[in-house]
Amino acid sequence: MKVCRSGGERMIDEFRLRILTESAKYDVSCSSSGSARSNTKNGLGNASFHGICHSFTPDGRCVSLLKILLTNDCVYHCRYCPNRAGEDVSRAIATPDEICELTVAFYKRNYIEGLFLSSAVYLTPDTTMDLLLLTVKKLRTEYAFNGYIHLKGIPHADPALVREAAKYADRMSYNVELPSEASLKLLAPQKTKESLLLPMRTLREETKANREDRSRRKARILPAGQTTQMIVGASPETDGQIMRLSEALYRKMGLKRVYYSAYLPVVRDSLLPDRGAGLLREHRLYQADWLLRFYGFTAEEIAPLDENLPEEYDPKCAWALRNPDFFPVEINRADLEALLRVPGIGNKGAYRILRARKYGNLSFEDLKKMRVVLKRAKHFITCCGKFYGAKDENQIKTLLALQDSGTEQLTFFGDAESGMSVLTGQL
Amino acid sequence: MTYYLTDGTSDGFYSAVFDAYADKEAFVTAKSRIQLSFGDRLVSVETIEEKAERVRKKLTLCDVHALDDLSILLRSSEDGTEQAAFLYIRELVHRGRPVKGRLAEPAVFDALDRIARVKEEAHRFTGFLRFTENSDGVLYAPFSPDHDILSLLVPHFLKRLPGIPFLIHDKKRHKIAVCDGKTYTFAVACDSATFVPSPEQEEWENLWKKYYRHVNVALRPHEKQMRGSMPVRYWKYLPEKNQRNSVPKIFK
Repeated sequence: MKVCRSGGERMIDEFRLRILTESAKYDVSCSSSGSARSNTKNGLGNASFHGICHSFTPDGRCVSLLKILLTNDCVYHCRYCPNRAGEDVSRAIATPDEICELTVAFYKRNYIEGLFLSSAVYLTPDTTMDLLLLTVKKLRTEYAFNGYIHLKGIPHADPALVREAAKYADRMSYNVELPSEASLKLLAPQKTKESLLLPMRTLREETKANREDRSRRKARILPAGQTTQMIVGASPETDGQIMRLSEALYRKMGLKRVYYSAYLPVVRDSLLPDRGAGLLREHRLYQADWLLRFYGFTAEEIAPLDENLPEEYDPKCAWALRNPDFFPVEINRADLEALLRVPGIGNKGAYRILRARKYGNLSFEDLKKMRVVLKRAKHFITCCGKFYGAKDENQIKTLLALQDSGTEQLTFFGDAESGMSVLTGQL
Repeated sequence: MTYYLTDGTSDGFYSAVFDAYADKEAFVTAKSRIQLSFGDRLVSVETIEEKAERVRKKLTLCDVHALDDLSILLRSSEDGTEQAAFLYIRELVHRGRPVKGRLAEPAVFDALDRIARVKEEAHRFTGFLRFTENSDGVLYAPFSPDHDILSLLVPHFLKRLPGIPFLIHDKKRHKIAVCDGKTYTFAVACDSATFVPSPEQEEWENLWKKYYRHVNVALRPHEKQMRGSMPVRYWKYLPEKNQRNSVPKIFK
């Protein structure tokens, strides 16, 4: 079935491109933000700090980086993975030059913002990491490429290789895969907690030292930091547990992002559920994740340990309903943190209020003119002491509940602004 | 209502501001975008550089960033752009100091909102622009944006592609940016010029289309999201969204 092609010697063929793309597509991370790498003399490309989306696929996700595996030939047997060892699928491998050529050719035509290179564990972790390192090194030096590079770390690989690779990448990620050690042991037996968290910590210390060392003009290591990803719904952990794990990863590992991917039954396995986890659950987790990172909430506040996030309310709304004493918040006097805790008021709205109220008290009409979203917020705020929401707590609950979670589930991503940033990973 | 018609240039606009400022019934608009109703009066504004300069000077005294903001705003091709800019200027001159934070003022909010839309489109096209390459290594990208954002885009690509000559062509406004890899100029697009892609171009484009098709997770369809983020009107020049071969043989 191998397709032969004319064209450059280093041009990858369609057949392998297909295999290596299809194997890489379940990785959620796509963001190209966080790095402002500038171009070198006669080099190609730079990184845009806020990231740039270059296209959008029919699943609603953005294409920002060329997401591809070096190979899908794997010695590990992770039960949820379509490329697990022993599975009867087509295997392919690309050479470092083929990856570099492809990246440069796509980049030049403005198809992509950079490369997201990952790999199955080919022969041994060290061999794989070595190949990945060779590829990114080549891309940066020989091809003088200064666009964005996100590199996946291989568990159990030699720390020296990982540290070396970090010098060339903008971002690296080790996927924790599952929200608990027990599930990891069960579903991804060759990966251990240590094999994922230790390199994360090494890189954390490395970047920290690099940031502090301002004496010489040193190249920055991993300017866009580290991220990770976990599958939700393949194992029994609750959202409360997941949120605590994420919080710990943000605080202790200094991660930039934790990605959640609702479990999809891509392969059949006796230890895995037959049905995928709902997209609504994934969406709620992302909303909660945003509360952790940008709204000053703690995991404790968002969800009790043994509970899932409620489906009918977004997590901030749910918190507000549990804490009626905190409200109403006076728009003209509340500080940023209090404003951010009002359901429906996000960073944009809070910022607008802070800016505009310098010039005088804001009325409810003023908020409307400034297009602050008031559908939910009106029940939790006062403007110059006046309250515009519903009086009765039960009435508020009914007004705020998701109308019909059954049908909403499919379309839910579509309307919310946050939904978009969730999928694109841009901020 | 008295309509002050400008020639569409920024000098024309600032001249109109000069003439119309005292007129409470004034509506400033470009000649090309006028919509009249019964009983309206028309004033054709003569573009006079000195007048425009005086207005500019005054605005800079009120807010050092005013001219930059207004230059973005005036790129907007939406209806009422000039009038929105005019009302913003009135607010600015009335206050005599920066008014950007006065979001509860409709004139300010409207102007900032329009500016945000122009900037958003410019940001989008840093991603949605698609280059094709000819055998000499020259890159060419046609596009037809809603707003006049061509000159906002060029510096971005010049930084990315130093040493590579490229052309960016605004099909709607018949404007073309010509960059030799170091500097750039703008020209009126020529009807008879042709751009012939290299044989390799088609192969890379083909690989890109394949990549786009296979990176989609078919189990999680969400077309609405895709269309929201990448409006259909932009698809014309995206090879991955075009079934037919989109390599332009001739450009106008």
